[in-house]
Amino acid sequence: MSAELQIRLLDCIRGRRTEVFDSLALEMFAFQFERNAVYRAYCEQHRRTPVAVRNWREIPAVPTAAFKDFALTCFPVEDAVAEFHTSGTTRAKAGKHYFRTLELYDATIRQSFAAHLLPDAARLPMLVLTASPAEAPHSSLAHMMGAVAQQFGRPESDFYISHDDLLAEKLVHDLLEAQWAHQPVFVLGTAFAFGKFFEHCHRQDLKFEMSEGSRAMETGGFKGRSREMPKKDLYVQFESFLGISPSRVVNEYGMTELSTQFYDETFRVGHQSDLKTVPPWARVLVIDPNSGREAAVNERGLIRIYDPANMWSIMCVQTEDLGVLRDDGEFEVLGRAAGAEVRGCSLTAETLSSR
Amino acid sequence: MSATIEQIHEAIARALEAHQQVVQHRDTDSIIGAIAETAKRWREPTNPWRLRALKEAPAATGFSEPMVGEAIDLTFGALTREALGELVDGELGNRHILDEFCLRGRTRCRVAGPRLIAHFLAGNVPPPGIVSICIGLLLKSANIVKMSNRDPVFPALFAESLRDVDAELTDSVAALSWTREDSTQTQAALADANAVIAHGEDHTISALRQLAPEDSTFLGYGHKISFAVVAKEAMTTEGLPALAEAAAFDASVYDQQGCLSPHVFYVEERGELGPRKFAAALADAMAAFQQRVPRGTLSVEEAAAFTQVRTGYEFRAASDRRVAVWSSPNSNDWCVVYEDDPSFTPSCLNRMVFVKPIDGLKRVLDSTKQVASKVSTVGVAPMTTRTTAFAASLSNIGVHRVCPIGQMQRPPLSWHHDGRPNLAGLVRWTDFG
Repeated sequence: MSAELQIRLLDCIRGRRTEVFDSLALEMFAFQFERNAVYRAYCEQHRRTPVAVRNWREIPAVPTAAFKDFALTCFPVEDAVAEFHTSGTTRAKAGKHYFRTLELYDATIRQSFAAHLLPDAARLPMLVLTASPAEAPHSSLAHMMGAVAQQFGRPESDFYISHDDLLAEKLVHDLLEAQWAHQPVFVLGTAFAFGKFFEHCHRQDLKFEMSEGSRAMETGGFKGRSREMPKKDLYVQFESFLGISPSRVVNEYGMTELSTQFYDETFRVGHQSDLKTVPPWARVLVIDPNSGREAAVNERGLIRIYDPANMWSIMCVQTEDLGVLRDDGEFEVLGRAAGAEVRGCSLTAETLSSR
Repeated sequence: MSATIEQIHEAIARALEAHQQVVQHRDTDSIIGAIAETAKRWREPTNPWRLRALKEAPAATGFSEPMVGEAIDLTFGALTREALGELVDGELGNRHILDEFCLRGRTRCRVAGPRLIAHFLAGNVPPPGIVSICIGLLLKSANIVKMSNRDPVFPALFAESLRDVDAELTDSVAALSWTREDSTQTQAALADANAVIAHGEDHTISALRQLAPEDSTFLGYGHKISFAVVAKEAMTTEGLPALAEAAAFDASVYDQQGCLSPHVFYVEERGELGPRKFAAALADAMAAFQQRVPRGTLSVEEAAAFTQVRTGYEFRAASDRRVAVWSSPNSNDWCVVYEDDPSFTPSCLNRMVFVKPIDGLKRVLDSTKQVASKVSTVGVAPMTTRTTAFAASLSNIGVHRVCPIGQMQRPPLSWHHDGRPNLAGLVRWTDFG
């Protein structure tokens, strides 16, 4: 049964098959309920068993914190071909996501990435501001970057972070070479790494004019309470330091606990946009944390993701990010929800740990 | 509305004038009488100031109306004639020493408060701000008060209500609002201050310390945490309901946002009843308190933080027997988490409480050592010889106050707030003879 389900799912992701999401999701829920004892116990406690659940929206969500406490798998964990870890601090444990296969993961990367960043099917040198997958085997981001560089990048594509250090000189060198050769480039990395590189450019008084066709993908950038740098400010720097217009910079929203990533619709609409599209095989809900029910359109709430590509772990993941659902089913990510204002005179979990 | 620089200058001038012309010549007993009378009136159900606070405070503080009612009773219940007298007598030896030379040992002494005190209030929990103003009144100072943007109601209404009883005394107090970003306003308030009393987060206090005049006295009150300890002797079938009710009161009042609000209840093992029984009883009592005094509405961020903690533990509890969760059905009104891990877990607040079993009281010291410098109050049950010895150990690690569970939110007026005297650090002495 599992082999057949995986093949059908792969076909859906690759666009070779359409299935009614509801029935696929319910089937996936039954599969995970049966195979994942920890999840089953949680569902039973909430009286949401495959018999009781009639609609995909009722499938119990697993908080991302649970990935820190349990190996959430539908297979013996010793059979894992890969495990990705969240960046845990010294105080907090890291969450771990185990994979029985990377086939589904890689299929979603290829499908979504190409649609949102390479609609022109350009083949560009990819300059990646993360560690390489070889250096960071437990980083889902490094894996993703490795996969897209291999699939879509030119052979000279490279990684510019090593042992937590940004290789700024090397990046400057390679950008200059591409600029002289009028070779458009594709730069990819975390918002934090770009921020650091732009600081370097500012100090060294460097400004590039990358050729037309160049583009960028940035991700993350949320640390604690808020974005390190407002998205708008960061995008202005792409323009001023690299000559890449904000209409050619795309934010990616992904996390260790998921297999599917989400991208700004910027390339599709032709101007910079903060709206993320939901691929046909997944669903996104925004939950009002006060009521636990779905938030109204345009109202803020916690982002909940139904990602069937998480077939061998947990399909329905409750994130810790705040977001808004818009009219047309797209959504906007507003950042980590941890930044509650201090109202009284007590220290809180957050103010105490940030000390 | 944000006060202008001119308004601040004017308010200070008026307060100083009242101080100089009238208040510094008043006798302390009459000041105590005026404060006590005002506080007594606030506790009457139909008092117009009380009714105004009940109407106006919920929006700013985020508390429900019944919670504002509790806050009024806690704040003004503490300001009795006896308690005010005790505060002055206790710290200065004799209240008349503020009025005239009094014999102390072989010398006659007289004390004077600062000419002008600048009070910087913070947060939505009323007592620290009201007490701060009372300290300024008792010391016959002129007082410029920057109210918290989370409570622009209580200090202003208190000052106005004092006018009904004692108008000339009220003239020495000006309660205004401006934002933290208005640094010129802050500088104007600080420029001539002889003493500064600052409440707030550490960074706010250190910024104010930098700005305060060099020769001024500076008292900073940073944000704190509190917790409670239930010794095994208290875990009896007979005593548990009352103990749980007292614990729920301490944890629920001010929606757990006060520095005296417990985050964790450590419950000693091997009592007649186990720690889990305490957690269950606490949950019942939290539910009952919620019925009577509902928690305020949460912002999306606060609700999100609460939901994350609750659901994270609920997921664990489903297959980990060391964890159990009790919460209000389908809501975020309150939550009790039992966790068999003695490390101190700070709460996201808003009535999220942890109950942790502990093997002997001494273990509490190890578990809380890391946060000890930030602890305000430790609630204890019962008060026995054994817990008295334990209180001494808590004192050794830097805890400022140990009290019975149920009294955590009711510090006597004469308590040493953050381990220091309230009046003695502000006065200047003159010896005669």
